[in-house]
Amino acid sequence: MIKLNNIERFYKNAAQKTWVLKDVSLEIEPGEFVTIMGPSGAGKSTLLNIIGMLDQPDSGTYQFFDEEVHRLRERKRNDLHKYYMGFVFQAYYLIDELTVYENIETPLLYRNVKKAERQSRIADVLDRFNIVAKKDLFPHQLSGGQQQLVGVARAIIANPKLLLADEPTGNLHSSQGEIIMDLFKELHNEGMTIIQVTHNEKYANYGTRVIELEDGFIKEDRRINT
Amino acid sequence: MIKNYFKIAIRNILKRKGLSFINIIGLSIGLACFSLFLLYAVHEFSFDQFHKEGDQVYRLYRWTADLDGEGEEGDPHLPMPLAQAFKSDFPDVEEVVRWKEAWDENFVRVDGEISRAEVCHVEASVFDVFTFPLKYGDPETALSDPKNIVLTEKMALKLFKESNPLGKQIEIRIEEDFEPFTVAAIAENIPTNSSKQFQIMGSMEYFSTTSFGKRRMDNWGSSFLSVFVKLRKGSGLADNKAALLKFREKYYPGQEAELRSSGEWKGEGAPVTYRLQALAEMHTNTNVWGGDIATVSPGSIWILLGIATGVLLIAIINFTTLSIGQSARRAREVGVRKVVGSNRAQIATQFLTESMLLSVFSVGLGLGLANMLLPFFNELSGRNLIFSFEQFPQFPWLIALVTLFTGLLAGSYPALMLSGFKPVQVLKQKIKVGGANWFTKSLVTTQFALSLGLIIATIIVINQLEFMYNQNPGFNKEQVVVVNGEEISDTTFYERFKNTLTSDSHILGIAASDMSLGAGAGWSRAGFNYKGENKQIYEYYIDDEYIDVMGLELLEGRGFEAGRQDGFNRSVVINQSMVKNFGWTEQEAIGQELTGYFGEGTNPKVIGVIQDFNFRSFREQVKPQMFHQYEDYAPMQYLVRIKSGATEAAIAAIEKAWETTLADFPLQYSFLDEDINRFYRSEKRFSKIVSWAGGISIFLACLGLLGLAALAAVNRTKEIGIRKILGARIPGIISLLSVDFLKLVLIALVIAAPITWFLLNDWLENFAYRIDIGWSVFLLAGLIALFAAFIPLGLQGLKVALVNPSESLRNE
Repeated sequence: MIKLNNIERFYKNAAQKTWVLKDVSLEIEPGEFVTIMGPSGAGKSTLLNIIGMLDQPDSGTYQFFDEEVHRLRERKRNDLHKYYMGFVFQAYYLIDELTVYENIETPLLYRNVKKAERQSRIADVLDRFNIVAKKDLFPHQLSGGQQQLVGVARAIIANPKLLLADEPTGNLHSSQGEIIMDLFKELHNEGMTIIQVTHNEKYANYGTRVIELEDGFIKEDRRINT
Repeated sequence: MIKNYFKIAIRNILKRKGLSFINIIGLSIGLACFSLFLLYAVHEFSFDQFHKEGDQVYRLYRWTADLDGEGEEGDPHLPMPLAQAFKSDFPDVEEVVRWKEAWDENFVRVDGEISRAEVCHVEASVFDVFTFPLKYGDPETALSDPKNIVLTEKMALKLFKESNPLGKQIEIRIEEDFEPFTVAAIAENIPTNSSKQFQIMGSMEYFSTTSFGKRRMDNWGSSFLSVFVKLRKGSGLADNKAALLKFREKYYPGQEAELRSSGEWKGEGAPVTYRLQALAEMHTNTNVWGGDIATVSPGSIWILLGIATGVLLIAIINFTTLSIGQSARRAREVGVRKVVGSNRAQIATQFLTESMLLSVFSVGLGLGLANMLLPFFNELSGRNLIFSFEQFPQFPWLIALVTLFTGLLAGSYPALMLSGFKPVQVLKQKIKVGGANWFTKSLVTTQFALSLGLIIATIIVINQLEFMYNQNPGFNKEQVVVVNGEEISDTTFYERFKNTLTSDSHILGIAASDMSLGAGAGWSRAGFNYKGENKQIYEYYIDDEYIDVMGLELLEGRGFEAGRQDGFNRSVVINQSMVKNFGWTEQEAIGQELTGYFGEGTNPKVIGVIQDFNFRSFREQVKPQMFHQYEDYAPMQYLVRIKSGATEAAIAAIEKAWETTLADFPLQYSFLDEDINRFYRSEKRFSKIVSWAGGISIFLACLGLLGLAALAAVNRTKEIGIRKILGARIPGIISLLSVDFLKLVLIALVIAAPITWFLLNDWLENFAYRIDIGWSVFLLAGLIALFAAFIPLGLQGLKVALVNPSESLRNE
């Protein structure tokens, strides 16, 4: 599904080159639940953004299914991103001016889904996440955990093939975090491919594989036996 | 999707009430201003277009090449027999209408009550050519009888106190006596965008029977009425210069040769010909002027629209700069939307929807505001405009266009800028868009440059006006009451009136003349051949007292004196300019004969020289002028010098003298200084419009500054907190927050000053007597703008400076 080869990402300052990612190569198969770990500044988020096509590597190749992503035009890349990926952020990033319902609806609007289908899909996901009662509230009226539930609901509403999560539990209490992780587990069991970045060893164990980054290199890549 | 855009737009507008308020108020004021000027422009450009067959109707006029150095001119006044000749010579002519304008008001008597009204005389076929719908009466028969008249509804209400006095009698004093007429039709009130206006319309057939008309019926030398012709559909006569010239030469043979032999015309082609002017051009073609049709130069309409656009632009810039100021906040939303699948166009559309919504909202509010301000604007523009979609069917479309344009212009930069953000960067807060990047700064500078330009223009225009009001015109214009004696044909009346009045202690002197001075007083110019040279001299008929009462200075010789047989053009008093024009010295001038003035016979002799005075406006250099005296002739204007401080008593005395000498006829008077100041009515109007526009634009610019300062202050809350802990005081913090913006005002001044200097210097060239633009004008304008800008900045700075540092730092 994902094949990265010698991916590099760096910033150039006057005379100095600072590496964020160096010589990263890895393959991810459909159905995997990958956790990327490592200290701050190791390049975890950058790797996630490159996989999510929000960022481009300075060199190296990226193959997503059959597409050579590094060769694609921006428009095509945006399309891949749009139809295959869902994103969950540490800070939830809900749109303040929209209600829970409307936040979840937004991706469907950008994909031109018909109104009737939008309603039924949102009703399903609200039901499944137990937030039906909250659907008309605005983000600031929700707790952090509830906001992140909305964030996940929004990420999966358009049926992506790949769910990318950047420290999804970073801002949450442990009990709330566990709810989110249980949800990820459930999604994974249903066949969703998930890549998450986290600092939390415990949450890494929800997945099937851990990739450890340090200073832009892959330090360790191990499978977890479940 | 679009519903979603609207939803978020409305929620955004409601959430940030302060900024939305600034945006909407600013845009509303800008749009109110613009729509008023747009209405004005639409009105001016729509003149005379309501006539159903107007595209076939033309005004005939005489075109004369530049003979006297005053430029070529078009004169729409034509002799009486010309119309019929034109009709019979050109088969393309379907109909001709002669229109004798009302020169003055006539006395009109209804049920024994006398008032004044304007009476014009036209051909009975007038309703076939022009579209003046009748409310009552039949256009076919309205003027079929010479003793029929047509009233406008307004006049009917005024004279008869009812809107349908059909068949009633009205007496009009024509020449000597009151004559009875029958009201045969009532016309709907004439639209304001009609060049031809009338109050009472009499028939040309009747006019031809008056002694004035009888004398001129077959006279090709007396040009005084307008001729309108209706051509057959598709006729090319209007462009057929050769045919029109042939017509001219048929009735005025040998004129070109004559003008060439006298040396008055040396150019190519014929110096005088006829031309046809389309009805729709009458209002905006300033080359053909005269009569009751006031022309407006299209340039001045465009200048006003330009000023209004400037004001609107300032409001639009507010929207843009405030959007940029808030973009840091909006950036995250853009990032999120892109991550969940939006493309750039969709984001841009969303922001444009927001600005469009604000624009529509503001147009609604702005039109309401404009409607409220309309009476005031009418006073300012000297028009009587209404928001009438019936009169101006194009107006709603123009407003829709302006709305669209405003929304697009205001929203386009934020839309383009924000939609270009990269999600990774904005979500990581890497992009810092503060209150003032270079783009914002240049926009604010533009706003202040525009405002300053208008302020500078205001100061200069007002200075020139004050100069013209206060400059001594060479005669004493204060404390003179001008009494209108135009309709008085009794030659003894003036003497009796004068004798009654002189005894009053509030009256210092009284003089008479054929023309007053000041706006609307008219002028007459004699052209004659003096020893082989073409002379154009302004001439005034005055009485013995005139020079004294008006305070003119006699330099040489004497004025007119009783018993010296000065009357009937035997003696003239001339001004210095005329002395110079004739190549004399002041001493030499006395005793000179004006040969050629009469052609043959006794020539007038110069008996005195007076110092030049501005008998016309300060726009013109003083021209050669001469005074004559009349004999057995009723003067038309009486100039009464009154004691200063006793205006009311003097007016009462004049009224009393008028009544005892001539009961029944209403007195009409004006003050000479006001008449003279009215020369500059259009300048005064211009100064008012510019000063309002300047005031509004500086207000809008400051409103925007208030918003920007607020946004900038938010970005600097932490810095200010730290500075306060380190010991900064409130004035220091205010100046810290203001100084960047105040610098922009100074830059704007540097930009605006030379441009306005150039433009206004050009405007001042219209005046022969003018002020010079001093540097103090720019200093004053700069101080006004700085002071205005400091108000919002100071307030905002004070607000921030008063925040307890522990508060501002805790939020970080």
